[in-house]
Amino acid sequence: MGQISGSVVKRDHSTKFSGAAIYVGDYMESDILTGKILHSQKAHAKLIEVKVPELPAGYYYVDRRDVPGDNNVNIVKDDMPVFARETVEYIGEAIGMVCGPDESMVEHILSAIEVVYEDLPVVTDVLKSDTAFFDYTITKGDIDKAFKEADKVYEEVFETGFQDQTYLETQGMMAEPQAEGRVFLHGSLQCPYYVLNAVTRALGLPREKVHIAQDATGGGFGGKEDYPSILGCQVGVAAVATGHKVRCIFGRREDLEFTPKKHPSHNTYKVAVKDGRVTAMDVDVIFNGGAYTTLSAVVLQRGIICANGVYDVPNLHIRGRAIKTNTVPSGAYRGFGGPQTFVSVEMVMDHIARDLGIRPLEFKLKHLVKKGDSTSTSGKYHFDVPIVEMVEELDRICDYRKKREMYAKPQTGRYRRGIGLSMCFHGAGFTGSGERDFIKAVVRLKKSADGMVTILISNTDMGQGLRTIMPKIVAKELDLPLTQIIYEYPDTDFVPDSGPTVASRSTMVVGELLCQAAKRLRAEWQDGEEQMIEEHYKHPEFLIPFSLDDFKGDAYPTYSWLVNVIELEIDTYTGRPQVLGAYGCFDVGTPIDYNIVVGQMEGGFLQSIGYASMEYMTADKTGRIRNNSFSDYIIPTAMDVPNLKVILHTVEYPEGPYGAKGAGELPAVGAPGAYMEAVEQALESVDLHHIPFTAEDVLKSLEEAEKK
Amino acid sequence: MVNGYMPLSLKEALELRAAHELVPYGGGTDLMIEGEKDVCYLFVNKIAEMKKIVDDGQYLRIGASCTFTEVLDSPLVPQLMKEAVSRIAAPAIRNAGTMAGNIGNGSAKADSVLIEYVAGAKLRLVSVRGERVVPIEAFYKGRKELDLAKDELIVEILLPRTGLENYFYQKVGARNALAISRLSFAGVLHLEDGVIRDIAVAFGAVANTVLRFRDIEHMLIGKTIAEAKKERAAFIAAYDAAINPTRGRVSAEYRKAVCLNLLRAFLDDKGI
Amino acid sequence: MSDAIRFTLNGEETLYNGNPADRLLDVLRETYKLTGVKCGCKEGECGACSVLMDGELINSCMVALGRCEGSNIVTIEGFSKTEHFQVIDKAYAAVSAVQCGYCIPGMVLATEALLVKTPHPTEEEIRTGLSGNLCRCTGYNAIVKAVQIAAKEGDGLW
Repeated sequence: MGQISGSVVKRDHSTKFSGAAIYVGDYMESDILTGKILHSQKAHAKLIEVKVPELPAGYYYVDRRDVPGDNNVNIVKDDMPVFARETVEYIGEAIGMVCGPDESMVEHILSAIEVVYEDLPVVTDVLKSDTAFFDYTITKGDIDKAFKEADKVYEEVFETGFQDQTYLETQGMMAEPQAEGRVFLHGSLQCPYYVLNAVTRALGLPREKVHIAQDATGGGFGGKEDYPSILGCQVGVAAVATGHKVRCIFGRREDLEFTPKKHPSHNTYKVAVKDGRVTAMDVDVIFNGGAYTTLSAVVLQRGIICANGVYDVPNLHIRGRAIKTNTVPSGAYRGFGGPQTFVSVEMVMDHIARDLGIRPLEFKLKHLVKKGDSTSTSGKYHFDVPIVEMVEELDRICDYRKKREMYAKPQTGRYRRGIGLSMCFHGAGFTGSGERDFIKAVVRLKKSADGMVTILISNTDMGQGLRTIMPKIVAKELDLPLTQIIYEYPDTDFVPDSGPTVASRSTMVVGELLCQAAKRLRAEWQDGEEQMIEEHYKHPEFLIPFSLDDFKGDAYPTYSWLVNVIELEIDTYTGRPQVLGAYGCFDVGTPIDYNIVVGQMEGGFLQSIGYASMEYMTADKTGRIRNNSFSDYIIPTAMDVPNLKVILHTVEYPEGPYGAKGAGELPAVGAPGAYMEAVEQALESVDLHHIPFTAEDVLKSLEEAEKK
Repeated sequence: MVNGYMPLSLKEALELRAAHELVPYGGGTDLMIEGEKDVCYLFVNKIAEMKKIVDDGQYLRIGASCTFTEVLDSPLVPQLMKEAVSRIAAPAIRNAGTMAGNIGNGSAKADSVLIEYVAGAKLRLVSVRGERVVPIEAFYKGRKELDLAKDELIVEILLPRTGLENYFYQKVGARNALAISRLSFAGVLHLEDGVIRDIAVAFGAVANTVLRFRDIEHMLIGKTIAEAKKERAAFIAAYDAAINPTRGRVSAEYRKAVCLNLLRAFLDDKGI
Repeated sequence: MSDAIRFTLNGEETLYNGNPADRLLDVLRETYKLTGVKCGCKEGECGACSVLMDGELINSCMVALGRCEGSNIVTIEGFSKTEHFQVIDKAYAAVSAVQCGYCIPGMVLATEALLVKTPHPTEEEIRTGLSGNLCRCTGYNAIVKAVQIAAKEGDGLW
């Protein structure tokens, strides 16, 4: 690790630590109206009538009739209305908004509104829906031949559930009418320009009439990639309709129940094995997209590209569909489709290995891709694949192999142990050519006469540390103290569009652009002068062009890698698991700040363990999610995984700043495979097929084993 | 205080309780989830008589307004009660939540109430009309139904001074802290000269109230461990027949299975 | 008893004339503009709104104002003026334990409450002490480490 990796005190530490940082809920002006959404109580129904009681002076009700522009939120496909049209498609869909000065009065009015619905059929099961929002296919090699020649064919179905991002600060946006018909929106968000595009369209305003700023943001994890555009349009419409500042902050129950979360999945794996080797995979990936498309297309793309895991499988047929149901639209969650398919492929590889009588680790390593191999999309792994070394490094700190042997012996008694290992990648940055064709990032550095340098980018810090990382890069290149570099929360009036803060792209792509800009500024530096440097994205030249039509080419320029080990003990009386150790080795390239990167890995790793174990959330047959409070949607506390260890392994990426590549999402991808392998071992090598695997599932599995 | 009272003596509290429509407020950790505004609270946390933990020679008397933290800090409170109370939520809730609040909320998930069941605890209920002492099992009449008159306050919990030493306790939550019981189990055994003088078994969070079946317990009372062992299967079968769990955050089948597993674990632990 | 509720807030005598059923969290934020007190759930399940009441950690969302009569309330704004705060601040900064920051004011006060009661906590005691304060960003390791550093560096202060 070079000098750049040394940790500094985070630039936003002090304001956050003293409670002085301003989140969107912290504006205390007396002229802000509170907005509360009238949510649909039906998963699918025709809206017959909304009976709004007579409103007291100063209170307003707005709905689709008040949308001055297009009543569609610009995300990818623009099918989601700002306020419901003639029908509602999921429980929680926004029908309208009540605004007014006193929150309890707003709530009172909301409860007095009567909505008349005419029920329509509700579909919650992806297997019973006839609408596929997206249907993609990846092919490679000759699948038919491979299956015909196979010694053995395995077929298994894996299911994964919802996972909610559960940022500690719920969704919140505020809109303010300004002079000359301008509208200003700010709040808790990841992508200011996404919100800008959505709001200009909904309000029917030209770009210069709207600007978006980020407030201190209490976590995102993908959850604030699309939803702030939706909520932003809603408060924007309300502000324009009422002529007042309008702020809407979700309650925890609203947030858990009605905002996008990770796509539940149903993945069928058909695997051909010949001479002890996997020769082909025929995979059918089904994601529950929910009621509107939002980000499902791009989540699904990444999901299917990962469907064969880190394994070199010469013959592939992967079909992926995002299915419409009458549940809350699924959206972005750190990992973005990868966690669903990775857990499936890790489990199927375990099961095949066990059936063949080979140790799963040995079996997996035998299939591991290496530099120069082709990817699922017939692109190329251009750089070293460090998994083998990472396995050894991890084995040294946790004795995986020894424990795996030990726990394989028959266990009796109440408590039984298991240990599992998973290996995954995360493709760094946008899938395919998105960066070149859509984002076209621009960054600027502005030097003032007194030598202060301001970073002008639209990327946001929602806790992951960009406000420290980016100044470190610029300061290093300019050889200036960190205090001379300014990087404020972005406002689209002042910053160019350097792209959204998603896809583990910010450090790798935007950081590199800033690095280039800083190099130029240093070369062109003139004391006492104001200077502006601008850099534009350049697509790496070594890439095999990617085509989304046939899923061919380099989907990602490079990959981050992980190996995770989970050791656990199961109480066979209660079914309760206790994680005894969680060990993660992560390669995200050069860490720009060691503490920050380790913090990202630890936090993401724990989320990933939660996904596999305790974070159970489901929609019932009526489309309602009942796990809508912190007592019913269970995320880990400080006491749940006390022994969690992270180590870093570094393979530098030459096109990233100092060798950095994608970091943020990787740790949230891989734990379920390791977790489930450990559970399977503790339960004496039973084959399991879904996550989260709850205490109740453990008891059921034990019961079934007893019957056999 | 308009719309709220904070009496400093029990007498004053009872008079207020009799004269007005008031909601007794101990720690507020259940009441404030609803956060009802149109309500008049009787804050009972500054009443000295309700804050004491004393041993009167017959009972350990725990003041109803003692917080969980105060119970944990008291050298007088038996270990079993401390273990259960230490598993309630997290420190901030334990600093606020009170013993009477845990009872008064009427939930079968209340962790301290489970222990009161196996202890055969009694509640001292007082009103301006007088006072009465009611066994905990009688106090719970059904789901959220309590034997508490409109003018009464729970003033003390009377725990027998001995009998809880030889125990087996387990709470099953969804995680290691901030967990509502999905099921809880407590068993105590009192042996004298190798003979079971008393046994108590209670299950929390499985039905409308905590469950304790004294008739089943009688199967083992007066028996030696060896004799009890012979009754083990019948004893377990009796519970199997008696427990009809409700479905909640987990299924009834799961609750039933875990109840019986923990019952077996208790018997194993005690050599029965 | 006078009609107003009397309590000490960050060292200052305070009279509150509103409804005793009002939530302390709302009153701290809206009436006294103490916005360092964060709202994460309003159900006592996340700890973001933690404050000290007579030295003990409590969830301000779970307290009705009437309960505060005669008590001493300290929020992050008041606590940030203390020597204890300086030590905890440095410790958290040293290991970059602050990510999104939303749980932090509550976490800081949980740290204080823990160290007051247990000046030299074991790791298990730290994890128990912070168990009511949810953090989704860090996985808790850095926060636990920060508390260990604070206990060491602040030896004798608590």
